[in-house]
Amino acid sequence: MIEVRNLRKTFDGFVALDDLNLTVPSGAVYGLVGPNGAGKSTVIRHITGIFRPDSGTVTVDSQPVYENPAVKSGIAYIPDDIFYFPSSNLLDMAKFYKGTYENFDMKLYEELRKSFNLDPKTQIRRFSKGMQKQAAFLLAIASRPKVLVLDEPVDGLDPVMRRQVWGLMIQDVAQHGTTVLVSSHNLRELEDVCDHVGILHKGKMLLERTLDELQDNVVKAQIVFREGTDLPESLQVLHRSKVGKVDTAIIRGNQERVGAALNAINPIFFDLVPLTLEEVFVYELGGVDYEVKNVVL
Amino acid sequence: MISLNYRDPRPIYEQLEEKLRRLILSGAIGEGEKLPSVRELASQLAINPNTIQRAYRELEQNGFIYSVPGKGSFAGKLSGVDEGRRKELRDKLLAIWTELLQLGENPESLIALLKQIAMGDSVGGGVPDAPEVTAAGAPKAFEAGTAAKKEEKRND
Repeated sequence: MIEVRNLRKTFDGFVALDDLNLTVPSGAVYGLVGPNGAGKSTVIRHITGIFRPDSGTVTVDSQPVYENPAVKSGIAYIPDDIFYFPSSNLLDMAKFYKGTYENFDMKLYEELRKSFNLDPKTQIRRFSKGMQKQAAFLLAIASRPKVLVLDEPVDGLDPVMRRQVWGLMIQDVAQHGTTVLVSSHNLRELEDVCDHVGILHKGKMLLERTLDELQDNVVKAQIVFREGTDLPESLQVLHRSKVGKVDTAIIRGNQERVGAALNAINPIFFDLVPLTLEEVFVYELGGVDYEVKNVVL
Repeated sequence: MISLNYRDPRPIYEQLEEKLRRLILSGAIGEGEKLPSVRELASQLAINPNTIQRAYRELEQNGFIYSVPGKGSFAGKLSGVDEGRRKELRDKLLAIWTELLQLGENPESLIALLKQIAMGDSVGGGVPDAPEVTAAGAPKAFEAGTAAKKEEKRND
């Protein structure tokens, strides 16, 4: 549905995106993650047609996005810094959206507005941050888009509102098969809602997988080795540490295969657990020299 | 309402599978009773529908539920539960029994325990769950709390 191919973008000599490839299948909920400054917002601005590629292509439904109103009318975008016309209220914004998006559904807007309990006549700049995000969300969903692009949609919201927003997004996906690209640092929450993940690093795609593949293919093993034994050579180890007699190793491979390999060396004890998305992030990036540094104060 | 433990390291689909399995085994979801649709549950819990789908698929493979195209998924007959699941449990049982015996547990007491359960006497509560988080503000709640209510009634 969303295809980015060999995308290159430079700002004043700084290479923000370096031959980037990204694919979001139709109906997927794709989590775009990466360290600060990796290029997430830059990619998103290409996908929403704000930036034009220096080279490479950015297409939605096989059509290039840039300066293409036909394609853009099917994309709803909620940026990290949401913009509202200075003295507008929610009703004003709804009317503006209605004039811009041909599929805007006023009835749906009304329903959502009521369930979020937002006053249509108050100036939006007087809403709290959380309420402004809710407003952005309901305007986006009411536009009945084919593609939803969300940049940090729950950042700064309280736990109840976060769930409300994710719940609304999932409902839309479940009912209409909307394709969603969401960027967030909250990997704990993304893990629940995404089925695809792309890890961006220094303007390039480090790793792009379905969530199942990602979690089924790395395990955390805790092992107490017998005297004179160690991990089998055949295993690909991403990270290793030891506390007392217990070795902790992050190993590539599924639980069955790794379990079998470990059983073969007959350790005194071992345990295998799947990794959380957050752990996958930390270990994969640790492998490319982006890691928690021991700072001496 | 089905609640998930976000701090549990196991994948969500496994947790969901376990919870639904326990509800079906305990009778809280009766034979032939309809389960919430994948979409409903996904929306309620704010979890990707594919994850829910995966849990339902595993449950169906093991014989706990069956689906009727166009109608949804329903709890199956307990006696229909697959040999695969039973083997899984027997393997776990062996590991647990081995450890107990290694710790000095008397084999006779284990046999007595088994007899007690087979005769239908409950042997006290199971392992308490870690603190759970429920989906707040969800619309029509799926009443998974009925098991707890039955327990309360029995203790009156």
